[in-house]
Formats: sequence, structure tokens, C-alpha cells
Amino acid sequence: MPAKKSAKTKPLRCPTCGTLVTASAEDFPFCSDRCRRIDLGKWAMGVYKISSPALDPELEEEHESGQRG
Amino acid sequence: MATKNGTPDDGAPNNGSYTSENIKILEGLEAVRLRPAMYIGSTGEIGLHHLVYEVVDNSVDEALAGYANTIDVTIHFDNSITVVDDGRGIPVDMKTLPNGEQMPAVQVVLTKLHAGGKFDSSTYKVSGGLHGVGVSCVNALSQEFNVEIWRDGYTWEQDYSCGDPTTLLRQTGTSKRRGTRIHFLPDKTIFSVTEYNYDTLAQRLRELAFLNKGLQIMLTDERTVDAKTGEAKRAEFRYAGGIAEFIKHLNKGKAVLHDKPITMEASRDGVEIDIALQYNDSYSDTIFSFANNINTVDGGTHLSGFRSALTRTINAIGQSMGLFKDLKENLSGDDVREGLVAVVSVKLSQPQFEGQTKGKLNSDIAGSVQAFVNERLGAFLEQNPPVARKIIGKAIDAARAREAARKARDLTRRKGALDGGGLPGKLADCSERDPARCELYLVEGESAGGTAKQGRDRKFQAILPLKGKILNVEKARYDKMLGHEEIRAMITALGTGIGKDDFDLVKLRYHRIILMTDADVDGSHIRTLLLTFFFRHMTELIKHGYVYIAQPPLFKIKKGRFEQYIKDERELNKVAVKRASDGFVVRHGDAAVAIEGETLTRFISTLEDYLGFMGKVDKRIRNERVTEVIAKAEFTKRTDFMSSEESEVPQKLVELRAALVPLSEEFQFRALSELERDEEHQTWSLSFTDQQGAVRKIDWALASSAEFKQMMAKFVQIKDQLEPPFLIEYQSKADDTAAADGDESEASESTEVQAKAPKKAARATREPVEKQSAREFFEYVVEQGKKAYDVQRYKGLGEMTAPQLWETTMDPAARTLLQVKLEDIAETESIFTTLMGEDVESRRKFIEDNALDVKNLDI
Repeated sequence: MPAKKSAKTKPLRCPTCGTLVTASAEDFPFCSDRCRRIDLGKWAMGVYKISSPALDPELEEEHESGQRG
Repeated sequence: MATKNGTPDDGAPNNGSYTSENIKILEGLEAVRLRPAMYIGSTGEIGLHHLVYEVVDNSVDEALAGYANTIDVTIHFDNSITVVDDGRGIPVDMKTLPNGEQMPAVQVVLTKLHAGGKFDSSTYKVSGGLHGVGVSCVNALSQEFNVEIWRDGYTWEQDYSCGDPTTLLRQTGTSKRRGTRIHFLPDKTIFSVTEYNYDTLAQRLRELAFLNKGLQIMLTDERTVDAKTGEAKRAEFRYAGGIAEFIKHLNKGKAVLHDKPITMEASRDGVEIDIALQYNDSYSDTIFSFANNINTVDGGTHLSGFRSALTRTINAIGQSMGLFKDLKENLSGDDVREGLVAVVSVKLSQPQFEGQTKGKLNSDIAGSVQAFVNERLGAFLEQNPPVARKIIGKAIDAARAREAARKARDLTRRKGALDGGGLPGKLADCSERDPARCELYLVEGESAGGTAKQGRDRKFQAILPLKGKILNVEKARYDKMLGHEEIRAMITALGTGIGKDDFDLVKLRYHRIILMTDADVDGSHIRTLLLTFFFRHMTELIKHGYVYIAQPPLFKIKKGRFEQYIKDERELNKVAVKRASDGFVVRHGDAAVAIEGETLTRFISTLEDYLGFMGKVDKRIRNERVTEVIAKAEFTKRTDFMSSEESEVPQKLVELRAALVPLSEEFQFRALSELERDEEHQTWSLSFTDQQGAVRKIDWALASSAEFKQMMAKFVQIKDQLEPPFLIEYQSKADDTAAADGDESEASESTEVQAKAPKKAARATREPVEKQSAREFFEYVVEQGKKAYDVQRYKGLGEMTAPQLWETTMDPAARTLLQVKLEDIAETESIFTTLMGEDVESRRKFIEDNALDVKNLDI
């Protein structure tokens, strides 16, 4: 698998709708105020979760060592 | 009008007496000139253009009645207008007025308000003009007005000025054609705007052509002449497809949800209903409604019937298709209209409008339109499930967006509380009021929050404990999230407000916002969530460098009275290596070359980096011995995988393969491939199938990865010293200290005191230790170093006492803070997007595939 490209070459996408967004856009990192409000609503509703598998200690370990690396 | 009775009126018969007939005439077109806005809307641009519409509408009525096919409109140099149609021609025969006067019918039509053919539904079943004031108003408001009629073989003409005839109607010739030509010059003393706008007229005429399938309308602008051809600007509108083509025109350049507009056309209860609609991917709606070709800008009964049917039908179909499972309530009208482009056109006899400009239809037809749309749209969607699914899917998205926006408003709804002293109850604020000097620690967990509250300097440090909610989902995974209250408390404490319009950096109460989370997976996840939130909704904070990450120590090492906090594993290794390598010399390789002192310390430090990167490269190879051999092959450039001739093979790869043969046997690889040519990249590669059956590929893609390059950078620095075996020889000089240290550390490990006792005696002649690989050597050294200390690992912030937390993490004199930069977080954002995606399986796979990149999560 090829290496991940650096932040500079990776275009950012609007977190809500996936449209490409440039850093100078008025509603950055969103494409529009509508998408911004939708995203804020998702935070308010507790939609955003980060999960880690509970039954995979190896992965958990990798995860941990990755953090300190 | 009573004041007018003394005014001489040339047009009125002057019999010297003031009679009721007089009043009628004075109230006629004179009233239009006195109050033009009442009749045509305004004396500005709208009214000026309205004059044209009034004349054209009459021609369209002829078309609707089936007698006219073509309407030709011309704007002349002087901004006068000519409208020609091929209808029946206005009647020219004499008509007897109620007062007994005889007058040609055309003159009646052009001079009397409320006169015309539209009141008799046998003449015009359907008509836009209906108050009968239209064309006579145009006449009244024109300084010049000429009418020419071709009818029954003759040509007739008459001229007017300001509504008064300046000539009698006269037969001027013979003609084989049929129709009416009207030319008028708007009265400059009445209109504040006298210049016609081509685009405005073109838009309305195009609209009329859409609404009347097959009708041809031409527009010529003699004021604009093509420089090359000398021809006047001209457009022709004719649409066989009717309003379906109108929809396509409106959706030009937009991404549509379904290819063809949905059309419904029929005659119901004496009303001709013609509707077309199509969805695009935008969020706004465009609905045009017409009654008898008149654009009812304020809607009316036809529009409301359509709208309620649309909402009802889409809800009913969505329900029956089972698409609303996770939707809390029905789709609203706004939801089903998002992205809708529709044209609703009705034609009916005797329509009732509000006002002369006919902005709103009042006729009682809402029920008919609604029933019609329910039936036809319902049938269409049932027969076209893919289209139905797309349309309903979009409406569901709209409903979700609406719900989200409502929840977002909730976050700051208690505005008064935000502005005043209504700070969150959990916040332990500082006493300082100057934001530039204030710090806010966002601390994970109540207990750590408590410790931080005790340990802080309350003058300038505020503490807000945040509880990351942890849900154990079906015992299969842990979900971490920030609840509504946590986010609310945070926004409130920061004081900036939230959202495009409300966020105000000036109101920020702290110029240092410091995230302080545990050094474990949960802590990293909470931090990830917080950073994502800041990045998305408080970007300014990061841009201004106000966001920091605290660096609580991960270890504490102790030796007697000596204590030291250690930031991370790397630093711990460094201390351990320093400690251990103080007392020995390393001889490496067959030649047993010695490394010692400064060189040794540098070697071990570089070795650690090298091993770290090698571990990452090994995630793709899964056999560290093989990875080591690959490193030694020193692939650095693409040409290492290429050959000058196609038949030849690259030397480095050949040598690598030879070096892998013994390893392949040792580890019982299932296969070791010959060199393979990758035509796509014009390179060669090598692969092996390991004992588990996984194919591992050694190619340019591997060698060009970031971790491989980093590994190689370290490799070249120490490659001369990387020759195993590594022989560790203890030096007598350093022995004393090493042994003395050993004493104490061993003493602390009580179980080993006995066992190690004999070694003390033999210390001076301590046996050299030999290690076969660089990693084993490194690990041995670290192990030896660590033994010298009592190492305590902090699993969480809660394990520290308040003074410890202050001393290590919060005291500005001693702490290290990482400032969060926008560039770092932009990279992180794309990872979050995947991490937070809804597909658990792909997320899990992502984490596994990118285990080597997960450190990016931590800025």
C-alpha cells in the first residue's frame, strides 16, 4: 500500500456533503453555512462517536503504541 | 372626479349640460391616466413592460382560442412597440353604445374600460385578460397608438393619442392576411422609465411560448444591430414540449435527480391542469404558477393545491415503500420541496384574481388540483420506484438537515445565560478577567478534573471537566462521544458563541485553551473529538494559536531520593540507555570493532529511531528479519527497480532475492517468486508468500513509502555499525558505578536480592553478553538501564496528586504545551472523517490498515 500523502497535497472535503473545499473558502472547512449547521446539529445530537473494538486486544495495543510513537 | 366637471373635454359631446353620460366618459380612460398604477402596477419599469404584456396577452388569447399561431413583437429605436398576431383581427363593425351612439367595435375595445370580448365565454373560453381594461389602458397611456386590422379581405387603420382617437377608423386597402397589428409609444409624461429591457421581455415571451405548446413568438430588438450582418437582435420561441421544456430550461446546468421531468396534464372540472416537475440537487425550490398564462407571483389556489398534494403523496409513497424507518416525524412541505423545480399551469374560464396585476389566483380550484396531483403523481411514483426513492431520499436528507439545524440552535438557545454570568456549573473559573492572561483546561473526567482544580493556580487557570460518554455497543466495541451538555458547557465557558453569525472571537474568555486528557486510547479519542470540534466550528481559535495540548508525564522514575518525570516511552528509553551504556563497550561484527562513549550513545539513539521506522515498514512485511535484509539492500530510488534493457533484471533485486533464499527456508515460506515485471510502471518487483499464505511484495511502492525512506535515512547513518553479533563488554572503570547502581535497583526488587548476590562478587569479571540482532541488543540495553530505576507508569491523570499535576503539567515554568496548528489538524480531519463514518466495518478496516498512521491522530 502506498504511503499516505501529506496534508498539503490532500484536498479537504466538506465534512457534511463531501464537496471539495479550499482553505480560503468563506465557510471553511465547510462548503456552506447550511452544511456547517447540519454538522453542528450532529454534534449536538451526539452523532459523532469514535469507536474501538472491544474484543481485539491486539488492535488496541497497536493503537496505543501508535499514539506514543 | 367631481372636480373634473368644469374642465372642458374635447372628446366628449358638449351639449352644455352636465349629464350622467358625461361622468361615465370622464371616469373612463382619464381615470387610467390619473391613476396608472392602479391599472398596470406602476409607472416604472414594471408598468412600462406591463403594457407589452397586456397587448401580447390579447394575442395569446386568440391563440388559446385556436385562431392564432404566431405573435411577433418588435422594440423600435424610439422604445415604441409593435405587436402583430395572425388571429381573427379585432371586429370593425359598428356597435351601438348604451347611450345610442354608434362606434366601431375596435374603438369600443380601445377606448372603453370594461369593454371587450372576454366577458362572453363563448368567444374566449379561456383568457388571461378578463377585466377588459387591458388594451384600453395601453391606449390611454401611450402618446401614440396605432391599430391595423386585416379582416375579411380589407385593411383597417386608426390612430390614437393618450387614449383619444385622432382619426376615424378607415379602410386603407385590401389584404389577404388576417390578424391585428398594434403599435404604441408609451407616454413619456407618465412613465419614469421609458427604456425597454430586452431580457425582461424575452423572459416573459419565452414563458408564454412554454405555456402554450406550439405557439411561436418572435422578439426583435431594432435598437441592437449586429455589427457584421446589420440584422436586428432577434429571438424565436417555440416549444413543442410545453412546460416540460420549461423545466429543462430552468434546470439547465444543474445536476438533476431524474432524467425526465414528471408531467401531468388533463382537464378536470372544466379546468385545464398542466404540471411538470423535476428535482435537482440544490437546496432551494423554484416553482412557477400560472393561471391562464398569467404568472401568479403570489400563488393562489392552484399552487396551494399542488403543494399540499406533493407533501401528501410523497409521504404516502415513502411510507408504503418503508423508507421512513428512522425518521421521527413526517416530511414537511419544506422537506419535499428542497431541490424542486416545478411549473403549475391552469387554464379556466372566468378566473378570479386579486387585483388587476393578477398576482394571486382566487378561483376555488385547490381541491381539483390536489386530487389530480395525488392521483397522477402517486401513480407515477409507484410505477417508477427508482425515481421515487431518489426524490424521497432527498426529502429525508432535508428533514434530517432541518432536525440538525434545530438541534444546533438549541446549543445556544439560552442566549441570556451565555451573555451574563450563566457559566456552566462544572466550570471552576479563574479570578483574572483579562482573557490574554487566562487559561482554560479542558480536563477529561470528573476525578482528574477534581485534581486539576486543587492543583491549579486559581488566579489565571480555569478548569472545565468534560465527561466523554463511553458506550459499550453490543459488547463488540466502545463508542466514545461528547454529549450535548458537554459541548454546551464548553461553548458557554469559552464565551464566543457558535455558528457563522454568532461566533465572536472578541468574546473569547481565555487565550489558552488546553486539552488535558489521559495518555490512553480513551483520552486520545476524546482529544480527537475535541480537536475535530474546534477545527470545524471554532477554526479561528486554532488559526490564532489559542488551542494547546497538555503533556502530562507518562512515567516517573525513582532512585533513592532522586525522582524524575518522563514525558513518554522514547524519553524513558533515552534515560535508560544513557544510564546503561555508561558502563560498557560494544564490539560488533566479525571484526569486533569497538564502539564506546559519545559514539555509543549516538549509535543507540539512532538505532532506536531506525528500529522504530523498521517496525513500521515491517507492518507490510511481517517478518523483521526479512525487513532487515531489505533495508540492507539499500533501495533508495526508482531506478533500483528498473533495468536499462527489458530483458535484464535490476542487480539490487537479484542480490536481495539471493539473500532471501536462506530466510525463506528458515521460516518455511510457501513461495519466493522470481523477479516479476510490472509493465504498468516499467519496474521489477519481488514477492514471497509467507507461512500464513499472505503475499508480501517488495517493490517501488514499498520503497517509496514515507516510513521506508525514514528507515533508510537512519540506516545509512549507522549501517557500518549494524553488523551482528553485538558483544557487550563491561568496563572495569565504569563497573563501580554500574555495580553500585545495580545494588540499589536490585535491592528494590526484593525477590532477586538472593539470586543476584553471587554476581556481586564476580562483578569485576562480569561476563560479556552477546546479542545476535540489533533489536535484541537494543532491548537488552534498555532493559539494563530501566533496572536501575523504579519506574512508575501513569495510566491516567487521576493517578497523580494535585501537586504532581501542577508541577509536571500545569506550572507555566515547568510544563510543555503543544500548540495545535491548522495544517496538522487539516490532515487529522480527513482521518476523523473516516473514523467517524457510519460504516463500522470500513472504519475498523481503516484503523487496521493505518495502524502505522494512527499517531497522526495525536497532534
